[in-house]
Amino acid sequence: MRPTAFLAVLLSATLATAQEETPAPPSETAPIPVKPELEPPETDVSAPAVPEPLDTQAPVAPSDAPLATAGEPELQPVSDPNAQRLVNGAPLHNPNVAVHVVQKKRFADEGRHEFTLYPVVAQVNGRFTDHAGSALHYTYHLQENFGLQVSSTYNWYSNESLFNLELIDKVREQAQAASALLLVWGAQAGVEVTPLYGKFAFYDNHLLQFSLVLNGGAGIGSTRVLVRPEVSNQVDGESFTVPARFGDTGTKFLGSVGGGFRVQFGDSMALRLEVRDLIYTARVDRVDGCNLQDFQKLEDARGSGQSFSQLGLTGSCQFQKFDGVDPKTRKNYREDIVLGKDLVSNPSSDVLNNLSFYGGFSILF
Amino acid sequence: MLLGDRVPTCLRHTVMNARNLPRFVSLALVLTALSASAQEQVLDPAAVRHRLFSPEQRLEASVSVGLPAREYLTAHYNLNAGLAYNFFNTLALEARAGYALSRHTGLARSISESFLAREDKKITDELEDMWEMNLHGVVGARWAPIYGKLSLLADETAHFQAYLWAGGGLASLRRQSVIQCNQVVNRDLGICDNRTDPNNSLSATQSFWRVDTRMAPVATGAVGFRFFLSNGHALRFELRDWVFTDEYRVNVERELWERGEESGTPAPNPGLTHLVQFDIGYSFIF
Repeated sequence: MRPTAFLAVLLSATLATAQEETPAPPSETAPIPVKPELEPPETDVSAPAVPEPLDTQAPVAPSDAPLATAGEPELQPVSDPNAQRLVNGAPLHNPNVAVHVVQKKRFADEGRHEFTLYPVVAQVNGRFTDHAGSALHYTYHLQENFGLQVSSTYNWYSNESLFNLELIDKVREQAQAASALLLVWGAQAGVEVTPLYGKFAFYDNHLLQFSLVLNGGAGIGSTRVLVRPEVSNQVDGESFTVPARFGDTGTKFLGSVGGGFRVQFGDSMALRLEVRDLIYTARVDRVDGCNLQDFQKLEDARGSGQSFSQLGLTGSCQFQKFDGVDPKTRKNYREDIVLGKDLVSNPSSDVLNNLSFYGGFSILF
Repeated sequence: MLLGDRVPTCLRHTVMNARNLPRFVSLALVLTALSASAQEQVLDPAAVRHRLFSPEQRLEASVSVGLPAREYLTAHYNLNAGLAYNFFNTLALEARAGYALSRHTGLARSISESFLAREDKKITDELEDMWEMNLHGVVGARWAPIYGKLSLLADETAHFQAYLWAGGGLASLRRQSVIQCNQVVNRDLGICDNRTDPNNSLSATQSFWRVDTRMAPVATGAVGFRFFLSNGHALRFELRDWVFTDEYRVNVERELWERGEESGTPAPNPGLTHLVQFDIGYSFIF
């Protein structure tokens, strides 16, 4: 048999098999087939008894393989000409097609750069803490399903939760300092995989392509702890609102895992909806660089009116933050020494999970 | 080549980078190996044709389990059964009823024990969001404008709907205080029940914490996905919020409540309590 004739037979047989393997939709709901079944060409050649060389075998078509290779599909006549209008290559308005999704991924990611801005990053699991911020991610898609990622997050709001303040107010209880550690910013490097992709139609009118993304990374983050909540300061009959005071607790190791959806609009834009868990170690034994011994010295000096610069504090202790009077609110910062001392008097440690929702948009190029 | 002192530092870094880069890339490739075949298909034609199943004008029964998405002072494990009628592929009316197994969290128990021994807080307010939902029934609409298909690694395709759910109904609520103990058994140990073993709270058969119950309107909303397995079978994953009005008392006095007397006044603006749950469910469409 001539190779070309055999190849034609094999292709026909493969197509017929693919059509037979396509699961039929339920009869009650099955739309009218848009494409008539193809009759395999008549042949008197039976299937080969022995395996053929690989280079002559046709690839096995998946069960939902397109029929385009068998020639132009013959759509059934429809009364509404609008039904034939293609939306992203699919006759979404054809009543015979309940949902028809385009057949191939329209946009490839491999070798592309992606910048994602998340204007809103909101913590969703805050029991003792509340965080809200913004993030910027850069992803280089090394291949279609795998990318390298650099991410940065800045929390423009980070404070103890109302729930924690309620506990303090009503039952005189509060979370340990480590459990209420606040993340100011974080920077990470990691990877992102897109193992799944799909397409969906909104009311059969708009067809969009999306990917499930999973990512992970590691880096560092800057943390702080609430020393004193916002209070009212009464001086000489005047009332001043003193803003909350936070103490620096240093940079910590930061890890993250996350996942979500990336919905692509056109070739160069995408919408991302993700949930990411920032995990960071928390141990609070210094506040603004001062340890317990430093705070003890500061407290003793506060009582005697001694200058803090002569106390022989550790080099990292920023004693200036606990000295002086705020000219605007007339708050004496020395009053905060005892609060700082309380935070470090019982060194606490925890591993915190900051689960946040990320909503943003991407530009790909 | 072994790395050692014989290699100059700058070269050693170069060698390490050169050695690690292929390993890293290899690791990356292994990580995505499962999706490699899918990647092949990404750029190949992969037709998806029709809805796997059309629920329009069909009745639907479902069961689901709800797990707490976040826990403060209470935790709920919600068991639900539902019956729905799909008017269209995109719109259904659903009735759900169920019972939520609820409990105090460890944090609530810890607060109750320590507060019993605290002498510096004679007058206080009850804590918010302490109501636990038990029996409940709601009716709502499910709007599923999105129908999609998801490539699962290789040749398999999952069909799904994404939907929003909104509705309301009634719920029976129960509130056990962690502040007001009507009969203090051991203040130092924080015991307010009839336990026989001071170190084992499970040995108690009766609690003396103040308990309130009520029926209240409840609203619920959800966002979720419904994956069609085959004809008539579907798996549901949704994030659901149960919302009802909170009620608690303020300015309650220890001396009064410990004598078993009514104390305090209702909070003027108690707000709303949200129970956010992650639901996993199964549906059968007749």
